[in-house]
Amino acid sequence: MIADGVRAIWCREFERDDIGPDDDFFALGGQSLIMTKIQGAYIEELGAEVPMDQMFLNPTIASISAYIESSR
Amino acid sequence: MILQGKRVALPPNPVVHRRFEEHARATPDAVAVFRAGERTTYAELDARANRFARHLAARGVGRGAKVGVCLDYSADLLVAVLGTLKAGAAYVPFDPAYPPARLRLLLDQVPGLALIVASPATAGLIERAPVEVTGFEELSERLAALPATAPAIEVTGDDLCYAVFTSGSTGTPKLTAVRHEGWFNLMNWLQLEYGLHQGSHNLVVSAFGFDLSQRALMTALFCGATQYFTTSRNFDPMLAYRMLGEHPIRTVHCASSTLYLLVDWETARGGDALTRLDYVLFGGEALKAERLTDWARREGNTCTLLHQYGVAECTDVATSYDLAGYRPGGHEVAPVGRPAYNTAIHLLDEALRGVAPGEQGEICISGTGVGAGYLGAAGPENAKFTTVEADGEPLRLYRTGDRGRVNADGDLVVLGRIDAQVKVRGMRIDPADVERALARLAGVREAAVAVTRTAAGEAELSAFVVPAGADLAEDDLRARLLADLPRNMVPARFTNIPRIPLSPHGKVDRAALADAIARGL
Repeated sequence: MIADGVRAIWCREFERDDIGPDDDFFALGGQSLIMTKIQGAYIEELGAEVPMDQMFLNPTIASISAYIESSR
Repeated sequence: MILQGKRVALPPNPVVHRRFEEHARATPDAVAVFRAGERTTYAELDARANRFARHLAARGVGRGAKVGVCLDYSADLLVAVLGTLKAGAAYVPFDPAYPPARLRLLLDQVPGLALIVASPATAGLIERAPVEVTGFEELSERLAALPATAPAIEVTGDDLCYAVFTSGSTGTPKLTAVRHEGWFNLMNWLQLEYGLHQGSHNLVVSAFGFDLSQRALMTALFCGATQYFTTSRNFDPMLAYRMLGEHPIRTVHCASSTLYLLVDWETARGGDALTRLDYVLFGGEALKAERLTDWARREGNTCTLLHQYGVAECTDVATSYDLAGYRPGGHEVAPVGRPAYNTAIHLLDEALRGVAPGEQGEICISGTGVGAGYLGAAGPENAKFTTVEADGEPLRLYRTGDRGRVNADGDLVVLGRIDAQVKVRGMRIDPADVERALARLAGVREAAVAVTRTAAGEAELSAFVVPAGADLAEDDLRARLLADLPRNMVPARFTNIPRIPLSPHGKVDRAALADAIARGL
């Protein structure tokens, strides 16, 4: 499941393990440094190139996972 | 204390779009804009901008008017910008990544706003626009019917060229305007001082609303080079880095925090696209040299880092420093160097008298770049633009509110904000000075210092440290700081935290830290 991989990346970068599928990236305190790390992790760990604009448009684990799924 | 930049004569009519037009005549087939595989030549861009200028002029939009531009980076955006300048008006950039409510708030603050240029992708962001919103799609037939030659509209170096919103220290956005002469002088200095030329192609990576983006956008066209755009609305390290690798881009202008992200991207993946650049021109916040050191020392790195300082009110960049001359690890922060051509830096005390060499003072800027001031409602803020007497002559200068001094090499060093200083037991202290001292201690990766209040209401300092390894003991930190700092500058309390909270703009969120203390963290 893509969503599991995405969640693992988010939990690592935010250093917390209680992130739900519909939690908002920015409400969690996300900013450009974390976004960049997550963007890199998507490439290296999920083989997915996710443009930053898509990360802004899809700020939850559920929505970005759906985007990654659909872009394959 | 005065640092005087070189005096370099400008052409009799230093108007930015005239320089672009000279290139359009000399090298009409050179590529002016590249985006998503699409190339626009100088001749094409010039012709489109001429038509748009004629359209504006026919509607009575000329000198004194403002044209809002809310477009994604594209040839269209440059047509809107250059056409506005050719019509004699000034443009106001609006970042399409802003939330609609924010855009609306800003638009309402623009005096003399004549119209807004938007695209199908951006027009929907502007709710209840105060003036007409139009786009090149709707205008295409009308524009095609207009002559492609430049309209005969006289524009002088004194006319406004653009106005940008600056958040200032109060957080309330203010619209600050600059003049053609100042903008021309800035790009003329960069071109001559750093040898930029027709091959100095540039990639824009910063959001359109920022002051630095205006220079980033126009310097390549000022030099006859190509302006490259990514296809993203938000800064995208993956896409930006790919562009650097695939195209003959030589320069990038960006905020310090953006440079760190690009450096991290390259370091993590082992490319060399960034190291092969000629210049990165960056600044805007206190330099974190440790974020750049390893990268800067990489073998074969030919990229010159220009660490720059300036304010939007004085046409963006006022000083520049080649970081190759900086050895981090000392007790000195990285300098921001020497003034631009026709620009002077004055270090003044509270009575606007010059301080002695080596002493700290408020950084004030005089010269060609000093802008036209704040437009609209924020009139009283214009008191920051003041006139002093120099050699018996009145001299207009801008008080930045920044604190600095000139080091032994004759370079400007920025130390912090005047208004960030707090009195702790009678001594004026800037938390930034304490942060720097903390960050130099072994075992400290990063540090932030917030001003908090004791139960009795007195100001005190609270330090937050991100340890490089194990948590650091309060007594140990205090003892080591006392070796470097006066007692009043040593924080009352120390807290280990996993990371420094940042505001949405990527700056240290001291308010959040002070809050945490107030809540009894």
